[in-house]
Amino acid sequence: MAFEATDRHELRSKLEEYAATGDKALRDEIVGSQVGLAEYLARRFKNRGEPIEDLIQVALLGLLKAVERFDPSRGLEFSTFATPTIVGELKRHFRDKGWAVRVPRRVQELHLRMGTVVNTLSQELGRSPTIPEIARRAEVSVDEVLEAMEAGRAYRFSSIDAPATEDEDRGPNPATAQLGEDDTGLEEVEQRMLLSPLIASLPKREQMIIHLRFFRGMTQSEIASRLGISQMHVSRLLARSLAQLRDRAGAEAAPG
Amino acid sequence: MAGENQEPNDRGEDPAANGDVRLSVPAAPEYLRLVRLTAAGLASRLGFTFDEVEDLRIAVDELCFHLLGDGDDTPSDRPRTMDLTYAAGADYISITGSTGMSGAVPEPSELSEQILDALVDEHEVTGNGGVVTFRLKKQRES
Repeated sequence: MAFEATDRHELRSKLEEYAATGDKALRDEIVGSQVGLAEYLARRFKNRGEPIEDLIQVALLGLLKAVERFDPSRGLEFSTFATPTIVGELKRHFRDKGWAVRVPRRVQELHLRMGTVVNTLSQELGRSPTIPEIARRAEVSVDEVLEAMEAGRAYRFSSIDAPATEDEDRGPNPATAQLGEDDTGLEEVEQRMLLSPLIASLPKREQMIIHLRFFRGMTQSEIASRLGISQMHVSRLLARSLAQLRDRAGAEAAPG
Repeated sequence: MAGENQEPNDRGEDPAANGDVRLSVPAAPEYLRLVRLTAAGLASRLGFTFDEVEDLRIAVDELCFHLLGDGDDTPSDRPRTMDLTYAAGADYISITGSTGMSGAVPEPSELSEQILDALVDEHEVTGNGGVVTFRLKKQRES
């Protein structure tokens, strides 16, 4: 994590410029340059039953907040300021949005392991595997597989990307766009999603998944291989996005 | 093709699968887990694939959401239970759910319709005399 002095200097002047101008493109560039810090901190929280991809997303959110709140005039190093912000976001994730239902450790572990099993089987079979097939390969019972599938939904969903609701005009969370799922289809998605401000309030990758699943009719496995993530992760993101859409639809319908 | 090489019970040759299952739970989000788990359990007995089971779970969740009512209901307005019936055919599962609701029948959003169209073969939400009912049907692919 050691920065060259020139890098540090460059970062500082960018932060100063951002503080002065509020230029969102610049903010995204700064976030992009600090992804390593977010990932590093996210990894310190692994092995606690949460998939690392989710933790990195949370950490990126913390990073984004740090960039926005950083006050260069106070003379602090950015990393000194950002680290507690990101760690705080991760801790809050575990406290508020972690396993809302107590999920036994072995089920959490099976849930994480199933990602690989489902992917491997899908490739071998050329189709989505049945539940007994998954159970046999994972050497567990059908009931355990069902429990583990359900475990992916054991999050409390409501405010995982709270900044989007705190600050509606910010638009899709740029931090998650840094995760490298660039896709030529993305622009087309953006076009279509303009039709739905609700969907546009989700992170880009989630928008993409919603679009592919519900507007294009692709299966979860197809989406998983297209985006290069596990099917279990697609499943989690779908569930979470839908819960968020509902929350927001509800919030919009509410008076005031 | 590896896919043809299955044992019979992977594809639902389960004689006990053809009975209805009934579930009655408090109309609260905490119980949706049971509702989904039951759907997933039955679908897996019928040989649904992982993808299909996932779709079914999302669809049930989406439809049950209409039965929960909005969070602004006063406690006395809140529906007390959701009654679900899961019926298993040879290659399909159909689920109905209903609950008492004093207010207007929730109108599924366009987005919700779009989502359900992609997930299941048939779905509807109807209201009648203070009872809201949803129905869905999902067919196994092959």
